[in-house]
Amino acid sequence: MGVLLLLCLPVAAVAASASSPLAALQLEAIPDAWRDDSGARFELHSLRGENVVVTMAYARCHRTCPLTLRRLQQLQRMFDERGVRGEFVVIGYDPQGDDVRAWHQYRLSHGLRRANWHFLWGNEAQVEQTASLLGLPFWRYDDHIMHEARILFFDTTGLAHEEPELVR
Amino acid sequence: MQGGNNDRARAGRGWLAVATFLAVLAARPLWAAPDDTARMDALERRLDASMKLIRELSQRVEQLQKQLAHQGIANSAGPSGASPNAGTAAAPSPDEQRISAVEQSVQQIALSTSDRAAASGLPLHGFADVDAGTHNPTFPNLKGADIGSMEFFLTPRLGDRTRALFELNFEVDSSGDVGVDLERAQIGYQLADSTTVWLGRFHTPYGFWNTAFHHGLQIATSLRRPAFLEFEDHGGIMPAHTVGAWLTSAQRIGDGRLTYDVYVGNNQRIRGGMLDMNSAGSAHGGAIVGGNLGWLFGGALDGLKVGVDALSSRIEDVDTTPTIVTRLRSYGTYLAYDTDRWEHIAEFHLFSNYGLQPAGATYHSHAGFVQLGYRMPDRFTLYTRYERTVLQQADNYFQALNTGGSYHREALGLRYDLDLASALKMELATTRFTDRTPMSYDEALLQYAIRF
Repeated sequence: MGVLLLLCLPVAAVAASASSPLAALQLEAIPDAWRDDSGARFELHSLRGENVVVTMAYARCHRTCPLTLRRLQQLQRMFDERGVRGEFVVIGYDPQGDDVRAWHQYRLSHGLRRANWHFLWGNEAQVEQTASLLGLPFWRYDDHIMHEARILFFDTTGLAHEEPELVR
Repeated sequence: MQGGNNDRARAGRGWLAVATFLAVLAARPLWAAPDDTARMDALERRLDASMKLIRELSQRVEQLQKQLAHQGIANSAGPSGASPNAGTAAAPSPDEQRISAVEQSVQQIALSTSDRAAASGLPLHGFADVDAGTHNPTFPNLKGADIGSMEFFLTPRLGDRTRALFELNFEVDSSGDVGVDLERAQIGYQLADSTTVWLGRFHTPYGFWNTAFHHGLQIATSLRRPAFLEFEDHGGIMPAHTVGAWLTSAQRIGDGRLTYDVYVGNNQRIRGGMLDMNSAGSAHGGAIVGGNLGWLFGGALDGLKVGVDALSSRIEDVDTTPTIVTRLRSYGTYLAYDTDRWEHIAEFHLFSNYGLQPAGATYHSHAGFVQLGYRMPDRFTLYTRYERTVLQQADNYFQALNTGGSYHREALGLRYDLDLASALKMELATTRFTDRTPMSYDEALLQYAIRF
């Protein structure tokens, strides 16, 4: 009922590295047209009005991204416990390395099969713009992607928050 | 005597390069500051204006979409109750085309804004590491604390298809002098999404390790490379760098990916008992040619890669008079299994070298390692590695290399990720040389490796 419940992020690696201010970022500011891991067109802006948890990852990351994904799963459990609906969006850093099939495999191998989880693929320009907007700068070292770890929460008005402030 | 003068001259040039580089870095903000402030203000104003325009256009798109929804003409091809994200193939109406045009305008403005921000400067990234231990991890005759390396990594964006990669490394040699090396300098053209042809100096794509891990130690689980796969100036026995052309590609086939590399470049030489990649060109026009073919599994075996590789090079030992020339031929196979929990790597190389000048017999040698890694949930990674080489000492190639003796090494290590950009690594190792001068030594090593 409009009461904001602040859930702290105990995983230091996830929150501590966030560097860029959100500056009243709206969900609509992020590019809209993506492909999900089934290959279907996915319009990110259609999630407006929902609680949306957004992060970025790449499938071959075995050190940082698993921590982030684990945190997302914790958040999903918290949502479930509170009866809060939420959409979980993971945008890929690496359009060339992680195509739609790679994300589909990732999803299956990590048991992330819920319909409210979306693994999105977009072109390089989209990804770079999104990373910049979300405050997730990254750079490539050959096949490695050096990136930050950050989870953003967009409330039902589409406004971004640094840490998930969940509407109960 | 001449070698000593050359070393001093090289060291002097190294220091001069370091001083020049640092001076440029230090001086840049002083002369750039006033202009930059004004330029940044102007850029911020333009960015604000662009963002305002984007918001206005976004609102307009939303209004148009709402109007269409009210008129009941939106997306008539979709099934009733279908997700708004389900793709449709119906021909767009004029209103939809207008919306699409506005959306494209919004996206183009947003992307051009992003491009302008990216074009305002080239971010500087790199790696550094420092060590301490009972031995220097690279030069075992030294002990105590040491500076490992500091390197800068540049990947300027030069257009839609042109790629560039430069890796400038500052490191301390066994005499304590700082040397500067342009470890990689590649300019490439992207032929397709997953296919690029590179020209310049690159890491020779043999086996798995040499192109999976590079000079930045922070990305590697272990504290150091397997000794026989070390870079040339650290005693490696394989040509880690090639100067030439390299075609690299990864093609999806079903759930898996086929990776392949083909390269040709200057042949290497042996100078001062070390391999040299002839960065300025080959004196006698010899070449190295090679290739690598790998398969990255999907499905239940996701994370597993297997492959084979081969290379051939004409190696001139310029330390001898007359010059001894050997045909180096290496055939390799590798396996890597990389998941959230496990990191296992195994690589094996068979050498079949023969003398070209003077002509001689063929000698068979081999080298390989197996590394097993376990990533714990709490930012620790435990690893163990076994390395072994059996190198024929009658083979002129191995005979000419300072580090061409056979050895085996067992290592046990622990990596702890302090944060996303820094790691502490500890390793206990024992190394035994088995032919030239049979001896062994034990090591306890510590490394602090960062990226920035």
